[in-house]
Amino acid sequence: MTTAGLDIGTQRVKVVILQDGKVVSRKQAFSGFEPAKAADQALEEALSQAKMSRPSLTHITATGAGMKMITFADSTISMMGADAKAGVYLIPSARTIVDVGAEEARAVKCDNKGAMLDFVVNERCAAGAGTFIEAMARALEVSLEEMGPLSLKATRSSPINASCVIFGESDVVTLIHRQEPKEEIARAIFDAMADRVSSMVYRLGLNPDIVLVGGVAKDVGFTSALKRKLGINVLVPENPDFAGALGAALTAANRSKGVQK
Amino acid sequence: MKSDNQTKFMPEIPANESEELKKNVKSASEKVISDYIDRMKKASKNRPETMQYFDEISNFFGQREKEIREAKKNGKKVIGYSCVFAPIELILAAGAIPVRINSGWYDTSKLGDRVVPVEVCPVIRSTIGAQMIGLSPYFELSDAVISTLTCDGMTKMSEILSDAKPVWTMCPPRMKDSKQSLQLWKQEILNIKERIEKLTGNKITGKNLRTAIELMQKATKAFRRLQDMRKGTPVIMGRDAMLVNQTSLWDDIKRWTEKTETLCNELQKKASQKQLACPADTPRVLITGTPMFWPDNWKVPSLIEEATPQGIIVADELCSSDRILNDPVGIDEWTMEDMINAIAERYLMASTCPCFTSAEGNIDRINWLTTKVKDYKVNGVIYYVVRGCMLYAMEYARVKKVLDKLNIPVYYLDTEYTREDAGQMKTRVEAFLEMLSSRVDI
Repeated sequence: MTTAGLDIGTQRVKVVILQDGKVVSRKQAFSGFEPAKAADQALEEALSQAKMSRPSLTHITATGAGMKMITFADSTISMMGADAKAGVYLIPSARTIVDVGAEEARAVKCDNKGAMLDFVVNERCAAGAGTFIEAMARALEVSLEEMGPLSLKATRSSPINASCVIFGESDVVTLIHRQEPKEEIARAIFDAMADRVSSMVYRLGLNPDIVLVGGVAKDVGFTSALKRKLGINVLVPENPDFAGALGAALTAANRSKGVQK
Repeated sequence: MKSDNQTKFMPEIPANESEELKKNVKSASEKVISDYIDRMKKASKNRPETMQYFDEISNFFGQREKEIREAKKNGKKVIGYSCVFAPIELILAAGAIPVRINSGWYDTSKLGDRVVPVEVCPVIRSTIGAQMIGLSPYFELSDAVISTLTCDGMTKMSEILSDAKPVWTMCPPRMKDSKQSLQLWKQEILNIKERIEKLTGNKITGKNLRTAIELMQKATKAFRRLQDMRKGTPVIMGRDAMLVNQTSLWDDIKRWTEKTETLCNELQKKASQKQLACPADTPRVLITGTPMFWPDNWKVPSLIEEATPQGIIVADELCSSDRILNDPVGIDEWTMEDMINAIAERYLMASTCPCFTSAEGNIDRINWLTTKVKDYKVNGVIYYVVRGCMLYAMEYARVKKVLDKLNIPVYYLDTEYTREDAGQMKTRVEAFLEMLSSRVDI
C-alpha cells in the first residue's frame, strides 16, 4: 500500500511518499503564492523519484497551515495530530513532540501509539519560531546557516526579549551597539527562543522523551539552546522538517486500512 | 451625552464623524447578526422552529428596541447593567425595564482604544467604544446604569461611562466566606433599591417585589429546563441555547419565559422522535472563561460547531449564558426583610465569578465546573480568555489541574475582539476536537 502526506507550511510545502510503512521518497518546495500548485508539483516530483504515478496512491492526507487548500487530498489531519504520529514513528519513546517551524512553534503530548493527548501553540507571535532566527541573522549580517555554528562558539549569553520579533530585533541592535561579540549575541537569540519553546514544554508537564522536529530542528544553535534550557536530552530524528508530511502519510495509511483515527 | 467640556474621559468626536462611524458599524453589525443566524440555521437540519423568535429578539436594532422606546414614551424607566450581579428583581418590582449593556461588537473596541490602552480587556474597550458613537440602543435608552466593581476593567469603565449616564456602582466584597461580606453586600443592595425607587418614583413594596421574584423564579425554571435538555443526546446546538440564554438579558422576561417553555416542549418532542441536532457521538464541549457577548463573540462557538471534526457545546460556565438565570431567589417567609436577604444571598453566594476568593480560593467555580463536566457528560473543555482578562487567565492553571485529574482535556484559547484570527483559532479548535473525537471512539 502506498500513501502520500502533504505538509502545507507557511514557508515550504513538504511531501512524503510512504510504501508499506517505509518512506520511499520526500520532496519540498517553496509554498509561494499558490501553495496548492506547489504541493501538486512537489507530489509529482516525489512520485517520479520513487518511479510511481498518481494512481498507485491509495490515500492522500494533507496537514499544515494551508491544508484546506489541497482539494485533491482525500483527508486532512491537524498539525499537532501529524506531529504526534510522526514523532512516535520516528522515535518510539517520544512522549512530547516539539515542532518549531517558520512561523509557529508547538508542543504536543502523546501516548505510545502516537495519539495526541494535549498540545500548546505559541500565541500570535513568531518570536519563538524560525522567522525570528532569519530576522536576527539579517541584523547580525550572517547567513541563516551560519547562525547556529556561530552561537556554539560563545560561552555566555546576554538576555534579550523574545516576546516579539520587533522588540527582539531592537534588543539585538542594543547589544550590537554595546559591541558585544557576535557569537554571544547569536547565542542570546537562540536562548531567548528556547525560553519560549521550553515554557510550552513545561506547560504540558515535562514528559520525556522530548523529540524536536520542524525546520528549526536542523539548527544546531537552537537544539543546543533547548537542551540547555530543559536540562535533559532532546532527540532530533533524521529529516525533522518532513515530520508533518510523514505524520500525514502515516495517517493516510491508517485511513486507507479503514482505521479512521 | 453631556457637553464635551464636562466629560472626564471621553474624547471629542465631531458630530459628523460620530454619525458616519455609527452608520458604518451599525450596518456591519446588522450583517454580522444575520450571518451568524444564517450559520446557525445551516448548522442543524433539525433546528427548532421556536428559535425564530429568539433570532428576532437577538437583533439589537429591531423589535425589542422599538418596544423599549415605546415603553419609555409611556413613562417607563430603563435601567442598564453591566454585570449579572445587578438585582433584576428590584428593577422589575419598581416597574422599570432591565437591560444588560456589555458590548459584543468587535469594531467598537478599536474606538475604545482612543480612551484606554489596547492592553485593557476588549469587552471594556468595546463597551466604551459603543458608547462613543451611541451604537447600543439599550445603553442609550438607559436612564441609569448599575455597574458592579468586579474586575479592574469594570471599575474604571464605570467612571468612563459616567461621562454619558448616571452610573450607580455596587461593590461586591472579594470574599464570600465572611459575615461582614454579606452585610456589606446587603447594604449595597439596599442602597441600589433606594436609587431605583427614586429614579422610577415607584416604591418597592412587599407585594410588587414578591411578584418580581416569582416572575424571575419562573424564568429560572424554564432556563433550567432548557439546560437539562442539553444533558442528554444533543437536541439543540450550543449556539442556539446560548442565544436563548443571552436574549433573557434584554427581552421582556415574562414573554421570554413563555417562549423558552415552548422551545423546551418542541425539543422534548424532537428528543422522543430521535430528531437530533447533530450525530449522537459528536464530541461534547463545555466553554468557560470570559463572557461571550452577542453578536461578534459567536466566533468561537461557531468555530467549534462548524469544525471538522464537529463539536457540540453542551454546556458553558459563562456569565453571558449559563450563569445568568441558574439560581432562583430562595424565600422562606415573604417578608421584606427576608426577600432582601434572599436577593443579597442569591446574587453574591451563587456567583462563580473569578473576582472572588476565599480560604479555599474560588472553590465555588471549581466545584461548579466539575459538577457540570459530569452532569453534561463533557468530553473536553475550551477555556476561553480574551487578552487583558486577568482574572479568568489567572484561574486557568488551577482549573487545568482539576480537569487533568478527571482526565478531561482542556484547551486554553486566547483571542481578541478581532475577526482576523479566525483561521488560527480554527486550526487549534480542530486539533482539539480531533483529539476528543479519537477519545470518543475509544
